[in-house]
Amino acid sequence: MNRSLLLVVEDDPEMRSVVSFTLRNYGYDVREAATGAEALSQIQTRTPDAMVLDLGLPDIDGFVVTACVRQEHEFPIIVLSARGEEQHQVRALDSGANDYVTKPFREGELMARIRAALRRPVPVAERRDLNVGDLRIDSTQRRVFVRGKEVTLTRTEFDLLDTLARNADRVVTHRQILRAVWGAEHVDEVHYLRVYIKLLRTKIEQDPARPTRILTTLGVGYRLVSSESIS
Amino acid sequence: MASKMAALTRALRGYGLPVGCVVLSIVGAQLVQPYGHLADLAMIHLLGIVFLSLRSSVRTSVVASIVSIFAFDFFFISPKFALAWSDAESIVTFVAMVVVAGVVSKLSENLRRQEQAARATAARTQALYELNVELSSSRDAAELAAVTARHVAKLFGGPATVLLQTPEGALEPAESARDRTLSQSAWSRREFVKQSAPSGTAIWVPVVGAHSSLGAVGLKPKAPFEQDSEQGFMLSACVNQLATALERVQLAGAVRRTQLEAEGERLRSSLLSAVSHDLKTPLATMIAAGAALIGRTGEIEPKAADEVLRSLVSEGERLSRLIHNLLSVSRLESSTVELRRTPESVDDIVLSAVERFNDRSRKTPIVSEIAPDLPLISAEPVLLEQVLVNLLENATRYSGADSSISVHARAAGGAVLVQVEDNGPGIAEHEREKVFEKFYRGQHAPKSDGGVGLGLTICRSIIRAHGGRIGVRERSGGGTLVEFTVPFAAAREQLSREASLDS
Repeated sequence: MNRSLLLVVEDDPEMRSVVSFTLRNYGYDVREAATGAEALSQIQTRTPDAMVLDLGLPDIDGFVVTACVRQEHEFPIIVLSARGEEQHQVRALDSGANDYVTKPFREGELMARIRAALRRPVPVAERRDLNVGDLRIDSTQRRVFVRGKEVTLTRTEFDLLDTLARNADRVVTHRQILRAVWGAEHVDEVHYLRVYIKLLRTKIEQDPARPTRILTTLGVGYRLVSSESIS
Repeated sequence: MASKMAALTRALRGYGLPVGCVVLSIVGAQLVQPYGHLADLAMIHLLGIVFLSLRSSVRTSVVASIVSIFAFDFFFISPKFALAWSDAESIVTFVAMVVVAGVVSKLSENLRRQEQAARATAARTQALYELNVELSSSRDAAELAAVTARHVAKLFGGPATVLLQTPEGALEPAESARDRTLSQSAWSRREFVKQSAPSGTAIWVPVVGAHSSLGAVGLKPKAPFEQDSEQGFMLSACVNQLATALERVQLAGAVRRTQLEAEGERLRSSLLSAVSHDLKTPLATMIAAGAALIGRTGEIEPKAADEVLRSLVSEGERLSRLIHNLLSVSRLESSTVELRRTPESVDDIVLSAVERFNDRSRKTPIVSEIAPDLPLISAEPVLLEQVLVNLLENATRYSGADSSISVHARAAGGAVLVQVEDNGPGIAEHEREKVFEKFYRGQHAPKSDGGVGLGLTICRSIIRAHGGRIGVRERSGGGTLVEFTVPFAAAREQLSREASLDS
């Protein structure tokens, strides 16, 4: 069996050993780094399948590490930070992190996020149909089916759903969605998003008042849930 | 054109009255002539002169009386239609008329002058009183400056400016270079400054307090202005009132700062005592639990070990919540806190909070009822979620895990009204304000559940920062009802589907 290699970047030795211990328990290969510089040199030697990154490193800021890695690598980065405020989450996600887990964390939550991040997204070019749970999105014909039944979406609604589906099980930040759907000049118009998420929910949710497909991460963004994901 | 008309009207009024009086006396005497004596006709003329003297200056009255005498002589004393001075009797009458005119007009002129002076004093007192009333209801220096500027402009008819001393000890700069120089010199030398220029006269008066020069008041009067006149005294009186009001506000500010510092000190000490107890207890449990397991993993029964580990984790979580609350309080209480507001939907926030509880082990799920199509609110969503989480946590804590708890949200005026209800023991009336105070815990609060009395304090700080209100009521049918409001976002952030150019 091909075991995934995870790189844990964390300056606090206790925390580092607990995280590594947990990950090894779940059957991953784990390498460790205590500083940003150490992490970058480890990546040079051997590219991991994913990285679990603390933001408050003694030498290089975690945001900078993320940005550096993103210049050359595509592997998922899961930020694990004690900074709970949403603006840090948004900044980490906008600078290229795939997910954000706050300390103190629950083991189950961290593992679910890592599993979701390790599922490689299908490159857009190779993809015609996208299945997210019981949602089927036909990108070439721009048609959407919920449990086999077609629903009619407007152009904006489709683009919005498509953006979320390409990043299924990951939080997509407001700015990322607004940039993809409305364009770079509208990245601050969060109210567009509020209105369209509501419209989209009325079309694809069983109970739009209790959404189970498009979930809100307050102050950060939205996440489209595939059936096999985090419950 | 209009001013010429006005001047003409004034001139006519000046001449109209004496001419009218003389003419009317002649006409009146002419009418009475067939029935009366000559003395009666003289009386009619005297009547006209007395009437005029009551309203005109001494000069006008005397001149008019002489004219009247000549007219009387001309029309009524024979030979008629000729001027002739025949007997001593009529000369006495004439002299008496002139003297009466002079005396009456002099007396009435004095009376008028006194009345005018009294009116001016009353108007001045009234104006100063109005200024004083407005100044005493103003809260800060900027408002005082605005009020004074408005009153001075109204009183003296011309634009007025009030510049105050900045916290750095300089004077606020005036708009034009000329005013900057003049105001600076008035302020620093504490002197009345007046400069006349073709563009108009500029006056600057320093606002002098007990200890320092507090600012300067500038005036560009339309009419000529003298410092040593009624106007000058009036302006100084206004400026003095401003100085007194400014010092009052400064003093109030100093008192408030001292109070805040004392409050801060009290908070720090109560925080310290709360922290020392509430942080140490879970830590002690955790350390003891961990230590108990070290080196004995083989000997201890797995079930017992699990128990120890479980308490280690739950104490850790309790500690984590506590620290989160303490950090929230310190962030919200710091004066620099600025909300990161975005347009938010109420549904998302309420559901997010409710889901957290329904995920946990609750026998009866929390019911949420949100009015459809609520407008967006302008809020920092995570903070509002925390308000709801704190309220739901309280509801659970005091009414039990299987109680019925519900959240309702609907529009009320320009805001959303959110209500959290439980069927627990409720909060006694005298406690309904106190529960929002720091470290205050209600009478039903369990002794050792990790709570320190910060939850509702945090809620109130958050809701106030959003411009809303929060309060506690008794739920009809028993239990507690906590409700809060958050204003809706501005209209431009309420986007309708049509407005967003979709196809």
